[in-house]
Amino acid sequence: MAHLSFLRLPRLALRQLMRDARAGELRVLFFALLVAVAASTAIGYFGARLNGAMLLRATEFLGADLVLQGSAPATPEQIRNGEQLGLAHAKVVEFSSVIATDNGIQLSSVKAAGTGYPLRGELRSAAEAYGPEVAGGGPAPGEAWVESRLLAALNLKIGDSVDVGMKTLRLSRVLTYEPDRAGNFYSLTPRVLMNLADLDATGVVQPGSRVTYRDLWRGEPQALASYTQATKAGLAAHQQLRDSRDGNQQIGGALGKAERYLNMASLVAVLLAGVAVALSASRFAMRRFDASALLRCLGLSRRQALSLFCLQLAILGSVAALGGALLGWLAQLGLFALLQGLLPSQVPPGGIAPALAGIATGLVALAGFALPPLAALGRVPPLRVLRRDLLPVPASSWLVYGAALLALGLIMWRLSLDLLLTFALLGGGLVAALVLGGLLLLGLRSLRRLLAGAPLAWRLGLGQLLKHPLAAAGQSLAFGMILLAMALIALLRTELLDTWQNQLPKDAPNYFVLNILPDDKDTFAQRLNEFSVHAAPLFPVIPGRLTLINGEPVREIVSKESTGDRAVQRDLSLTWAADLPQGNTLSAGQWWQAQPTADALPGVSVEAQLAESLKLKLGDTLTFSIGGLERQVQVSSLRTVNWDSFQPNFYMIFQPGTLQDLPTTYLTSFYLAPGHDQQVVALSRAFPAATILQVDALLEQLRSILAQVTLAVQYVLLFVLAAGLAVLFAGLQATLDERIHQGALLRALGASRSLLVKARRIEFGLLGAASGLLAALGTELISLLLYRYAFDLHWSPHPWLLLLPVIGALLVGGAGVFGTRRALNASPLTVLREG
Amino acid sequence: MGPSILTARNLSKVVPSAEGDLTILHELSLELKQGDSLAIVGASGSGKSTLLGLLAGLDLPSAGSVTLAGHDLGPLDEDQRAQVRAEHVGFVFQSFQLLDSLNALENVMLPLELDGRRDAREHARSLLERVGLGQRLSHSPRQLSGGEQQRVAIARAFAAEPAVLFADEPTGNLDSHTGERISDLLFELNKERGTTLVLVTHDERLAHRCGRLIRLEAGHLVTPLEP
Repeated sequence: MAHLSFLRLPRLALRQLMRDARAGELRVLFFALLVAVAASTAIGYFGARLNGAMLLRATEFLGADLVLQGSAPATPEQIRNGEQLGLAHAKVVEFSSVIATDNGIQLSSVKAAGTGYPLRGELRSAAEAYGPEVAGGGPAPGEAWVESRLLAALNLKIGDSVDVGMKTLRLSRVLTYEPDRAGNFYSLTPRVLMNLADLDATGVVQPGSRVTYRDLWRGEPQALASYTQATKAGLAAHQQLRDSRDGNQQIGGALGKAERYLNMASLVAVLLAGVAVALSASRFAMRRFDASALLRCLGLSRRQALSLFCLQLAILGSVAALGGALLGWLAQLGLFALLQGLLPSQVPPGGIAPALAGIATGLVALAGFALPPLAALGRVPPLRVLRRDLLPVPASSWLVYGAALLALGLIMWRLSLDLLLTFALLGGGLVAALVLGGLLLLGLRSLRRLLAGAPLAWRLGLGQLLKHPLAAAGQSLAFGMILLAMALIALLRTELLDTWQNQLPKDAPNYFVLNILPDDKDTFAQRLNEFSVHAAPLFPVIPGRLTLINGEPVREIVSKESTGDRAVQRDLSLTWAADLPQGNTLSAGQWWQAQPTADALPGVSVEAQLAESLKLKLGDTLTFSIGGLERQVQVSSLRTVNWDSFQPNFYMIFQPGTLQDLPTTYLTSFYLAPGHDQQVVALSRAFPAATILQVDALLEQLRSILAQVTLAVQYVLLFVLAAGLAVLFAGLQATLDERIHQGALLRALGASRSLLVKARRIEFGLLGAASGLLAALGTELISLLLYRYAFDLHWSPHPWLLLLPVIGALLVGGAGVFGTRRALNASPLTVLREG
Repeated sequence: MGPSILTARNLSKVVPSAEGDLTILHELSLELKQGDSLAIVGASGSGKSTLLGLLAGLDLPSAGSVTLAGHDLGPLDEDQRAQVRAEHVGFVFQSFQLLDSLNALENVMLPLELDGRRDAREHARSLLERVGLGQRLSHSPRQLSGGEQQRVAIARAFAAEPAVLFADEPTGNLDSHTGERISDLLFELNKERGTTLVLVTHDERLAHRCGRLIRLEAGHLVTPLEP
């Protein structure tokens, strides 16, 4: 035996493992690792595949090598420059428009594409909704290709006709992919692709309309560089030159954030699984003290004995890791299925790296959490065969915690988590756990006093909880937190939008109309008055961009990701007004009385929050670029705006007489009681250039996105729940011998099985109910804080949260009775055998 | 003599093993009347504990029958046998077998509660006083010495006024002085309450305090039951 070769050792370990496979602690360890690896693999695949999708599209995402984009057409000189350099050219015009049919209206994003589009990548389309995809081509004049969701929204089919403005187009194909849509992974409105030749006939694009013009260029790098150089200097403020390097920065940021949060969830799952691994590994070790002592007596060296047990865990860990990786791979398919429609339909498979990383995570967790307890097996004195009370020296706590921290550190480094956020969350969680755990402990202690008069089953069940109060508090806390996270997400999903919507005034506008042409202004107002008494006035709108503040470029003043940054990234809707609009209140400065005098700068009134973000104060000079022209104004007042009023609101209101000479459209909002859709259809047909937005429809879209995203998050939380169950099972394993013994003794004394079952149900039911109660209280508290302070909404209690203790009791109760079923079926003879 | 309280007829226990069936008990018969005391002695592995388990209805024989307090245990399922035990049987074990999660008083109350007795608390209290632990009612088993734990176990065994008390090496885990006092208590109570006592022991002195004695060797009765 002493000369056991290192080849025979693995075989021996494997044989031992097969014999021990039925041992509870090995099953729990297996389950915990499975969950940890599955969670990190699934989330790893999710991130990797989305990144892959973005990279794949980065080359195509412009549909060209270079794009000149602006809110007005490119100058003839800009076009000529490119053509002279031998670059291929295609033109695209994009705008929002209402598609009207007899079935209703649907706001759509229309793209009118000229010959040659796209210059990079290909369009893909199908002859019918969900039919096979074909690459290439584009709609011919008189035709339109549309996304299938437009067909669904308006109950249309291929071959039907739709009106875009004044032009009727025949739907010829279903559009399934546009290379240059990557900038918007998801858009609220469905796409209509038409031929540029039909654009004028629609009458939609008028001076002042919100339209994006794109000139697409393709060619040799040298020529492209020359074009960039020549054009850059002469770019108007509304124009940008973009190449593929610009990438999907914004969407990348949003995805990165989502991935970070998912990674946090996976870290929590790994952490919980780690606790389960540590618990079951220490039980594994304890139950093998005798075996280890015997092997040492039989002549195995310390190292050989230790290797034998380590090998067993390594084999088990490898199998669990492989299984977990497979499970994680399957799970991410589910995740993508849940997010269908939100994400691009073409997502690359992701390769094997995420699976390998998941396996590595599992093995690192196994090493970090299982090795320290296992090390004790190498220190079991052989004399234990004679004196069973001899125990190995326990591992130093430095080793135990150090190994676990090292493993966690490695895993966190791999997940490239935001350290500050992670520590803040973990620290916050720890503090909350300590406080709540303390309260739970106090609660349990006070239960002890009540216990004296309780029926037997209650005393048995509660007695078991009280016997290990720390474990009970810890388990109840862990499940409480998991249930809390799930309940909070469910609450926000189902309720937040409803609450907000219900708190709007009954007659709050539910339609917005943009792009009303100056010539149509009076007739439109008249038509509107005929069927809506709650119409807002028509406000003139001119798109313009803030370029300079007191002569300094805005870019250099505002910080990234602030409101100010978002406001200057795009064109603002500028308006002018003689009187302060309803729902606005002045917070600084004076509202103007008359038109500006000829020698003074005209005034502008700025929305107060934006002003704060842009660090504006009264008297500052602002320079706007409007339709290629520059206008200077002086901040004369600041306003607070009630954004919830659903009236047209503006960041910038100019003094009358300052913008009148520029191309203007008008916008308004109105309320129309449900069931009058035909009037909206008629309105849209009478004013084809006007864009009518249905607030309800937009909210519905938002709600469905929210539903999908929260479902995906809850799906990920299921892993955390499974890891929590692993901890519960591991904890139960530790008390199983004691429970089996107690069960057998009670049976010997004449207790029926139903009494034992009842006591278990009470024990775990109480544990689960305590978790649920904790979760309900936590959710309610957080929702109160969110409603009151973050969303400024009226809060009312949520009685359905009281279901949480019931759910907790059923979940933990079921799992607990399942985990201790051996104790229920223990033969009373065991008591005699034990002496 | 009164009617039989415990009868075993041709009791055999066979368990399957890798080398074929293994007979642990071989056609053993005995009959005990109310108030009898019986010692079962024998070497380790002779089948003493198996016999005790079968007589108490903790296990079922491969052949033969056990009648306990008028109930034929053979046709009863585990829950029905548990009911018979709750009504008619008390146990004292070598390692005391008290429930850690209950205090001394609650441990003694346990069989009374299983029997549905309303006066469980008062009855248990008086029994603990009887065994000299009236001052330690609320102590948990861990706070008691070995001898004290066995006293609690004896109080528990007599609590439901069982017809038959089974004791498995009741002094095996105690020093000789404490063991002596525990066996005194056991026999005193047995006499007081007219209980039938079945005792498994290695201790010949303890065995000889019983009215009758059987010796087992490899599952066979070598010292037959004296009539």
